Amino acid sequence: MRSRFLVGALAAASLGVIAGAQTQSPSFSTKIEAIRVDVLVTDRGQPVRGLGPADFEILDNGVLQQVDLVSFEQIPLNVVLALDMSESVAGERLDHLRAAGHALLAGLKKDDQAALVTFRSDVTLDADLSGNPRVVRDALDRAEPAGETALVDGAYAGMAVGESDVGRALLIVFSDGLDTSSWLLPDSVLETARRSDVVAYAVSVGRVKTEFLRDLTSFTGGRLFEVEKTANLQAIFLSVLEEFRQRYLVSYTPRGVAKDGWHRLTVRVKRGGIVKARPGYLAGS
Amino acid sequence: MRRVLLSAALVLLTTAAAAQQPPTGVARVEAWLKAVLAHEPGTLDDAAEQVAEWPTSSVRKLWIDVNGLVLLMRNPRIGRFDIRQPGQRTVQQVRYTASELRRMRALACAAGGGLHEPGCEGVNALKELDADLRRLALLAEEARRQGDENYILRRGALLHTDIGMRTTGAADPVDPGNSLGPQRLRMTINDGLGDNLRSSAPHWDVARMLLDQVRPAGVEKPAPGRDEMVRRWYRATAAWMELREDYETLHVDRAQQIFPDDPDILFLSGCLHETYAASFIQAPVQSMVVPSGVVFDLKSDRGELHQAEGLLRRVVALKPDFGEGRLHLGRVLLLLGKPADAASELTRALELMSDELLRYYGEMFLGAAREALGEFDLARAWYGRAAGLQPAAQSPHLALSALARRRGDRAAALQEIRRVFELSARDDGHDDPWLNYHVSHARDADSLYDELIRPFVTSSER
Repeated sequence: MRSRFLVGALAAASLGVIAGAQTQSPSFSTKIEAIRVDVLVTDRGQPVRGLGPADFEILDNGVLQQVDLVSFEQIPLNVVLALDMSESVAGERLDHLRAAGHALLAGLKKDDQAALVTFRSDVTLDADLSGNPRVVRDALDRAEPAGETALVDGAYAGMAVGESDVGRALLIVFSDGLDTSSWLLPDSVLETARRSDVVAYAVSVGRVKTEFLRDLTSFTGGRLFEVEKTANLQAIFLSVLEEFRQRYLVSYTPRGVAKDGWHRLTVRVKRGGIVKARPGYLAGS
Repeated sequence: MRRVLLSAALVLLTTAAAAQQPPTGVARVEAWLKAVLAHEPGTLDDAAEQVAEWPTSSVRKLWIDVNGLVLLMRNPRIGRFDIRQPGQRTVQQVRYTASELRRMRALACAAGGGLHEPGCEGVNALKELDADLRRLALLAEEARRQGDENYILRRGALLHTDIGMRTTGAADPVDPGNSLGPQRLRMTINDGLGDNLRSSAPHWDVARMLLDQVRPAGVEKPAPGRDEMVRRWYRATAAWMELREDYETLHVDRAQQIFPDDPDILFLSGCLHETYAASFIQAPVQSMVVPSGVVFDLKSDRGELHQAEGLLRRVVALKPDFGEGRLHLGRVLLLLGKPADAASELTRALELMSDELLRYYGEMFLGAAREALGEFDLARAWYGRAAGLQPAAQSPHLALSALARRRGDRAAALQEIRRVFELSARDDGHDDPWLNYHVSHARDADSLYDELIRPFVTSSER
């Protein structure tokens, strides 16, 4: 993953300024490069709070790095819902999905943003990133199931929306089926995931094999929920939001490693605990 | 081994059979002959509807009895009926009572147009026939005089073809223990999920069995491979099945056995196996819980792709200027991880194809092949051309976005994904031919069938 934003201006407020500027003129061409890694630290199942840069140890391809910044609950979230709206979702599943979406949107904080991408045979941006949850909620209520399942295209589109604004991007993918109509191949989208800051969580319903979603969530440091029914979807969505808020955003500028290719990441916490983070990132083309 | 029919379209089950009980035994054969006589090919008329309502078990038994009827047509004196079901090695001996056999002989004499042949005069067949069957005998006889001894075979096949095409026929729960006549299992696939595994009436088996017995004039043994109508029937019906996503491997396999070097049939077979490699076929089959003894005739995705590659290579060897054959071969090679070979085939395909739809596919696949080869500028150019050909399609812009993201150009990636979203928001729809690629090779199925039945519809003999 290569994140091109101004490391020199690391405060959350500065990031917000960059986000505003991007809508007119994307600022990805900055020469200053940093890597940021979303990290969840737990101890006996409970999130560990209060950690600072000195508590983390990051190895990039085995080379110990200097941690520049650790943020916790400071940077607003960009939550992108990428939801399966193929015809199999109709009925009770749709009711549960809408209820879960409403609950998640209600759980957002003042500066958080949300967006809604739906996928059927094609991909639709039902609501762009917005600080007004009502816009997204209304869009979710309007979305109607039809057609087949372009899951891979939809996941890619969700990632792209998540990357479209500076901030911590959380992608939540929901699907009850298997990809039946995407143009993009899973490997292509997984490669994008390896380059992306976005952390993907996914909920897969039913008996289908979910290799793509398993890889997507694994490569981005997220988590896959495989469930038989959607009755608990609301609780899952809320737990995802809660877990994501407990994560640290750890940033460093790579030193002593090759620029391009796959970078294996090892993240440790010196005082112990279980660490969940993406396994690496891909740089260069 | 039982084979499973795959259907990717929603299968609507026909309503229960009419209150009237379907005929049984030899009476069923007689009713069938009259339905064949009355049926207007290309329609679902009363005759076809009547046979379509017969339960699965009746059609399976009909398959056996019509086998016997055809044997009697060729030789009214035989008394032993050894019948082999499709896909099985052992033969099944079918026995009739003396009175049944006498009636079957009379029906066979009528169906074969040979009432005045020595074997039929011996059984005094003419006296046993009603007006309809005598009319059938006259038509079959007239056809024989004109050099075709296959009147009932061709028309019978068309009756069951129309039933197969225009209804789902009867459908019953799977019964693995019942081996009386061919059993076909149909799985419905919706949105990548398989369900509703049912035993369906083997109308296509009856049609294939009838055409297997076609013999050219003056030839003793059946030789369907020398018959143009049979060739056109397989081509039209295989295309129809693939266009409607009503897949039956056995059908194309039989076509290939009869016409091993026909490029059109090889092409349909190659495309079928290309489709079988897709996740929307593979996953439902893998996830479906099936009764004991039922197996799916489906290889792994790579196995299907390798089979498709072999078939499509034969197609382009037999027909080097067949651009669409090279298009499908190129895509299969791409999926098999051979982008250089794929690029070569796709480049040649684009030189040969002028059809806008096919060029769109070719440009998208060539873009993907160039991308796989790391030739990103060429890839972008081909995706861009495809976007120009189909301005309402999302796929080229998804491809351009992912390509830009791969090159680290987030701004371009975002710009292209915005274009994708703009297209989805348009009021005039956003049809993307990519969504129909897996049926595009069979797009002329309906016209092929119309062409096939034209001589049977307009023939003065009717």
